[in-house]
Amino acid sequence: MLTPEHIKEILNEYTINLRFHARGGQGGVTASNLCVEAFYGYGVCQPKFGAERMGSPTESYVRLSANADLVRSNEQVYGPHFVSVLDESLLSEVDVTAGVPKGGWLIVNTVMDQLTIQEAVKRKDINIATIDATRIALDVLGRNITNTIILGALIRISHLFTLEELSNAIMKRFKGAIAGKNIEAIKQAIEETCIFDIGVDPDFTVDTKVPWQQLDLGLPGYKELDKAGVWYCDEEVIPVGSDQVNTGSWGEWDMIWDAETCTNCAQCWFICPDFAILREKGEDGKYHMIGIDIFHCKSCLNCLNICPVQAISKKLKQGPAACAVPEESGGI
Amino acid sequence: MSVEPMKLFFKEIKEPIETAMIGNYAVAGGVTQTDPDVICAFPITPQTQSVEGLSDVVHQGRLKAAFVNVESELAAISYSTAACAAGARTFTATASQGYLLMSEALPMAVGWRVPLTMMISARAFNAPNLSIWNSWEYVLTDYGWNCMVSENVQETYDAAILSVMISDNSLFPTMFVHDGFIISHSVQKLWLIPDEVVRRLTPKKHRHTITTKHPGVWGGIVTPSFFMEGRKNLDEAKKPVLNIMKKAFEEFGKATGRHYNLIETYNLDNSSRMAFITMGSMCGNIISWMTKNKDIGLIKIRAYRPFPYEELQKIVQEHNIEKLIILEKSDSLNNLLPPFSTSIATALYPLKTLFRCFIVGLGGRDVTRDEFAVAKKKMESVNDMKGQLYTYLGVRETKNKIYEVNR
Repeated sequence: MLTPEHIKEILNEYTINLRFHARGGQGGVTASNLCVEAFYGYGVCQPKFGAERMGSPTESYVRLSANADLVRSNEQVYGPHFVSVLDESLLSEVDVTAGVPKGGWLIVNTVMDQLTIQEAVKRKDINIATIDATRIALDVLGRNITNTIILGALIRISHLFTLEELSNAIMKRFKGAIAGKNIEAIKQAIEETCIFDIGVDPDFTVDTKVPWQQLDLGLPGYKELDKAGVWYCDEEVIPVGSDQVNTGSWGEWDMIWDAETCTNCAQCWFICPDFAILREKGEDGKYHMIGIDIFHCKSCLNCLNICPVQAISKKLKQGPAACAVPEESGGI
Repeated sequence: MSVEPMKLFFKEIKEPIETAMIGNYAVAGGVTQTDPDVICAFPITPQTQSVEGLSDVVHQGRLKAAFVNVESELAAISYSTAACAAGARTFTATASQGYLLMSEALPMAVGWRVPLTMMISARAFNAPNLSIWNSWEYVLTDYGWNCMVSENVQETYDAAILSVMISDNSLFPTMFVHDGFIISHSVQKLWLIPDEVVRRLTPKKHRHTITTKHPGVWGGIVTPSFFMEGRKNLDEAKKPVLNIMKKAFEEFGKATGRHYNLIETYNLDNSSRMAFITMGSMCGNIISWMTKNKDIGLIKIRAYRPFPYEELQKIVQEHNIEKLIILEKSDSLNNLLPPFSTSIATALYPLKTLFRCFIVGLGGRDVTRDEFAVAKKKMESVNDMKGQLYTYLGVRETKNKIYEVNR
């Protein structure tokens, strides 16, 4: 386990690198901003995002050091020592452990136990901390925004900044009651983080960037573009239409539609931003609601909120958090 | 609804404050402190938060400026040029396609000698595809605007103030640029300057304006009998501008402790007699890389326009630089070299320095230690100025092959 003294020593001569994986709208960028704002030394935070819709994977990077010259770089982070994943569904869609050195840390908002996560990311040489940030967020904040909560887990294992430093940054950024709730949620996260320590610390002195990672090798090169600027729908480049993309892979609720209560008013169909309410024409020539397309439903709850007869209800997808750490070592 | 980082600017800043925020809000803050009279800009990624931040300060009341919403960038530059010509301290901002849409009026701001200031969050032109990410679009056009390029959030905040000083003293419009997304959206720490210091650096001075007391015609048609004299007049007026920029940097340095220059250099007296030469955020990447690679230097261009030819020649000669590695985030398609390299080549023409241009980072692609190492290695075997003088570096040739790089 890392100690505050060791971390401080490292920061004098090297950088400590963080990477945050989230989905658009979950606050990954804010989480990384807060790291720079809370940190006592020099820091730079780079987001990697632009035009993503809500739910698309995003990344942001943080580089921290007590040495100003080392954080002058505006590069993205390729050798993160601490990776935070705000949405567990990203584990199967994004290579979240790319460039993480042996002994590095993976922090995940999840109910999965750490051995399952090891399987999912195919790495047995990194430490894993898990926290059911979604549950804490829903309890304390009323919404599944887990960005500040995951910073609680980060504090617990990295000692990069204290709860007080983070609280100050939060109070500068958020207003009144919201700031207070976030700090409360962070305190819970610090306590509840489940730590799977493999007994190896990361070597902060070594650069673990995979050469040319920034080039996305495997995507078509310039010789393979038909005409620059023109993209045709074909198997090589854009194999499917957007309706084949599993945009329902995330979202914390299962949506349940009750056929008997439904009056076919179709307000849910109108308000759903993803056309995820299914309907078909009956023999009477009128449209009838027949269900919810879970392949595309991101559980935004618009339909539930607008239904005048409460024919749509929600059920939390995740169960209780699991932990692979033996109780005597601090597991649950 | 307020944007939190702007809160610091809602009241008087009485002493230097260390804080952290993204480049766009830092610019909004710096511009606020210069007390503009008119703000007129159209939103475009990645500049939007700078104008949003300014609308915040105007709404809150601290900044008594006319915040004018217009329907496009062409309207924004037309309005801004006119307002500035009428005597208002005026600020506008744009990027990429918005900058192109402004084209019709950009030369006029130069021709009429108006001290307009404009921020650009550098973003690629939409060719061949739409990109909202970083490229040096501003080097692809040159209407005579002064141009200053910043490496990080502190510098772009300072540039907001320096640009007003430079514009006011030169009576040419000034654009200050930072790399879009990389700086505009990056949270970095910076020191804010006390309001009173900014006021002292940017006093509102009497200058030529449109006024009924002294009627005239601005930009009216002239026959071939006069046009050329008008252009030569502009050429003469541009000659003192580099010195004006230098003086502004000196005054700024005395007031804040941050000493900038037209060109800044790092580790030029090195064993390889080579140096990178570039602008903007890449300079930070190179400086960090150089902490472990000490046998190469960096020439950082801050004043891009007017281009400091003499200073560059002096630096190259004084330090006996034999080879220059130009890193440029733009390409030309038509020319021997892209624009930034062309300016450098013109400066180096009388000298014997060898150079090559590496086109990197287009459309927001990250420029990293891999590119620096390869560029340095390639330059080591360059011994003449024959053949193609530019290479695209960091581009996929096929799915698994990188152009001109053996892995």
